[in-house]
Amino acid sequence: MSSTTDAVSSAATESSVGVSRAPKKRMRKALGTIFWISICWIGVVFLLAIVASWIGLDDPNNGDFSLINSSPSWSHPFGTDDLGRDILSRVIYGARVSLIVGFGAMGLGMSIGGTLGMIAAYRRGAVDTLVSAASYVMLAFPALVAVIAIVAFWGHDIWKITIIVGVASTPLVYRVIRAATLSYATREFVTAAKAQGATDTRILSRELLPNVLPTIISYFLIGVATVIILEGALAFLGLSVPAPTASWGNMINESRTYLSDNPWLALFPSMAMFLFLIALNLVGDALRQSFDAQESKL
Amino acid sequence: MSNEQSSIAFPSTEELSGPLLRVKDLRTTFSTPRGSLTAVDGVSFELGRGETLGIVGESGSGKTVLARSVMGLLPRSNTTQTGSILFEETEIVGAQEATLREIWGAKIAMVFQDPMTSLNPVVRIQRQITESLRLHTSMDRAEAKATAISLLSQVGIPSPAERVRAYPFQLSGGMRQRVTIAIALACSPRLLLADEPTTGLDVTVQAQILDLLSSLQSARQMAVILVTHDLGVVATRTDRIAVMYAGHIVEMASTKRLFASMAMPYTQALLRSTPRISQPSHTRLIAIDGRPPDLINPPSGCAFAPRCTYATDQCRSERPPLRTAAEDPTHLFACWNPLQTGNAGSITTAKGEN
Amino acid sequence: MAKFLLKRLLALMGILLLVSLGIFMLVHLLPGDPTTTILGPNNTAHNRAVLMQQLGLNKPIWSQYFLWLGNIFHGNLGQSFITHQTVTNTLANAFPIDLELIVISQVVALSVSIPLAIASAKKPNGLLDRVSTTTSFALLALPPFIIIVFAVLIFSIHFHVFPGPGSYVPFSQDPISNLHTMILPSLVLAIGSVVIYFRLLRGDLITTLQEEFIVMARSKGLSNRYIMWRHALRPSSLSLLAAAGLNIGGLVAGAFVVEFLLAIPGLGYALVNSIQQVDYLAVQGVTLFVAVVVVVLNFIIDFLFTIVDPRIARE
Repeated sequence: MSSTTDAVSSAATESSVGVSRAPKKRMRKALGTIFWISICWIGVVFLLAIVASWIGLDDPNNGDFSLINSSPSWSHPFGTDDLGRDILSRVIYGARVSLIVGFGAMGLGMSIGGTLGMIAAYRRGAVDTLVSAASYVMLAFPALVAVIAIVAFWGHDIWKITIIVGVASTPLVYRVIRAATLSYATREFVTAAKAQGATDTRILSRELLPNVLPTIISYFLIGVATVIILEGALAFLGLSVPAPTASWGNMINESRTYLSDNPWLALFPSMAMFLFLIALNLVGDALRQSFDAQESKL
Repeated sequence: MSNEQSSIAFPSTEELSGPLLRVKDLRTTFSTPRGSLTAVDGVSFELGRGETLGIVGESGSGKTVLARSVMGLLPRSNTTQTGSILFEETEIVGAQEATLREIWGAKIAMVFQDPMTSLNPVVRIQRQITESLRLHTSMDRAEAKATAISLLSQVGIPSPAERVRAYPFQLSGGMRQRVTIAIALACSPRLLLADEPTTGLDVTVQAQILDLLSSLQSARQMAVILVTHDLGVVATRTDRIAVMYAGHIVEMASTKRLFASMAMPYTQALLRSTPRISQPSHTRLIAIDGRPPDLINPPSGCAFAPRCTYATDQCRSERPPLRTAAEDPTHLFACWNPLQTGNAGSITTAKGEN
Repeated sequence: MAKFLLKRLLALMGILLLVSLGIFMLVHLLPGDPTTTILGPNNTAHNRAVLMQQLGLNKPIWSQYFLWLGNIFHGNLGQSFITHQTVTNTLANAFPIDLELIVISQVVALSVSIPLAIASAKKPNGLLDRVSTTTSFALLALPPFIIIVFAVLIFSIHFHVFPGPGSYVPFSQDPISNLHTMILPSLVLAIGSVVIYFRLLRGDLITTLQEEFIVMARSKGLSNRYIMWRHALRPSSLSLLAAAGLNIGGLVAGAFVVEFLLAIPGLGYALVNSIQQVDYLAVQGVTLFVAVVVVVLNFIIDFLFTIVDPRIARE
């Protein structure tokens, strides 16, 4: 069928697309503003985490015992905890843990799982069969249980947690990136590049990577959000970074004891985590949608 | 679907009540992100009981939209329809969906282009046939099943009692299209809309399906609108043919008359790009230079002028109205320079004729 | 179809065997000496050696693995050195609690998400759709440990609608107060599931409703409700099914957050306890059990796939 009929018949048959197409476009524009606000927010959190030591915050780990479990005030905008520590300061320092664990673990997962996924999808054959089989076995492993066990036995400093979670994420990352690469690996431009004598490395980095990059980025952000949630769950078991280091998860966990007396303890770290997660999800989602739109235009 | 109709085909009481379908100045517009698109633009025609009308045109000529408009099947959210479609006593344009649902499947049924996509892949054939029987008739489960089996055997499916339990993916393409025909025929509709019913099928199967449709039609005295891009398909199987281009009917005549003395250069171009009728029909239209016009910004003159070898300045500036041929008042065409100039008679618009 | 399922079953058994090896290695290669845990750090080397002998820990690691595996087939997962409870016993006590949490939360989640997804997909970008899509997006950023903290704060501490932490009663003892205690954690777990199921089903329904066979169904005069439930829902439910499988599998041991906060002695609770006590037989046993449950669940989902979409079993 010619393109005109396609336009006519699709306009004719797709009831809900017809309705949703125009508002979707509006939404994409609206997502533009929300998208940039989210980007800014992520940037602010990063910046604060980096400069936390130089902006005159109270010591996050040593409190003022004369001021325990206080409500928000001018000197302590978020209040203080059961040891008199400033919650604002702890929330800002706590961002470091979420950022390091989240971005570190996904960075590790992406560089192992992503690379293997692209190579397996491009080379196929024995490499693909072997790595894919291994990924299936790892996926059948109760990952959460394994992470808890290893963290508990090996030790829970921030770098160990990052490495363990990063390795645990590889099989899933591998499958996603492999599937994304596979849809490009058989297209003509790859065949053409091969016919022109391009090396495998060149094809992978110059032909395939730019095409898979959108999937990598949006999946990376969603993955970071998931890892941050995992850190919180580990904290609930006392398995996140050891006390007195602040992390959002640790703070929410510690708040349980004084929940009825001082709900602020739970509120501020929860808000921090919620807003950061929603910003990550919004950016990831917006990127995926605009990449999808570009893809469908082709 | 030959031109002769046996006397049984038209019971006198029905004949008195006039044509089955009366379409007047139908206009169907879609709102698209680029602007509004008029896919059917001022179409009028009538269809008698048991009659077969072929609607022919290229891809994008609006024929599929016309078929769906006639049924009122287009999504309401982004479609506007004006004009009138009178089916028996019921006005389709602007009707409540509840009213239409009583007609759909019971009195008007449709056979879709691609049986791969028009059958629900995860529902057994039995239920896909019986659900409209159970809805529109008082049959119980067992009767509906028996009817489904008999319908399958009528459309030529071997061992229908077993096949009725099958899923669509377990049948070949030709068999699937036979099933969709069985579904359409389930409640003995008065009008069957067949939208490119053979396009997705092998050449050898195409003729079988079309012959099946013809024989079922004459047995059931059912009116048929056969939508196709292939003049070869309609040549032997229709009473009348309407040629569509850019949302307009540009020529309409009895099948015999159209092939004997076509007036539109577009019809001629269509015919030339179609293999001979004596040969097995091919699915693909070979070549008319250029593309159909953009229906969001249609050209001001004759829509076919940019591709027409006979086009003059008048064709490019002024849209030709639909007029009747001098020696045959049922032959309508819209052209400033018809092929046999002597035949072009007095100018009357299609609207005025009704 | 039987052939397809048999093939899947064999593959899953193979995976399970590899997983059991993985779990065994994991537990044995990790630091932590069980004899120290049991006897205390100041005991003599001789006593330790005797205990090692008793526990079979001085045998080569391969023979330990096969011994363990052999015992499993006799229904013997070993006995904890610390609590002296058999691992099977621990599982028998803990798993029904998770089962209860999962059943309640999934019944709630499915009976909320399916009608909501259908109502939203009917009018994409309508008011209901926008509200539910936005809400679900926000809930995506609210992990269960945040929700449970605030749920307890509001419903247990403030309004006393549900019992607070530490009030778990076994079902066999008092079914009514057991259910009363389990409602809050189940609902918290349900929220996460609703979000996943709603988003997937809504998206797939919108895609399915654009299919030609839906137009065909309309052309038969069928009502929109009938078309939605009998024609659109089934082909749209594959991702939902897959996600439900993953999600339920994750809940088997993943409900520990709510179990921890409310002191409900489920599997996650048992697992974390045995990890903290370096009770490696219990860790091994519970982990393997969770893996088996996940694999069985996968098999059930595969089976349901072939029912929902008969084309899947074709090859």
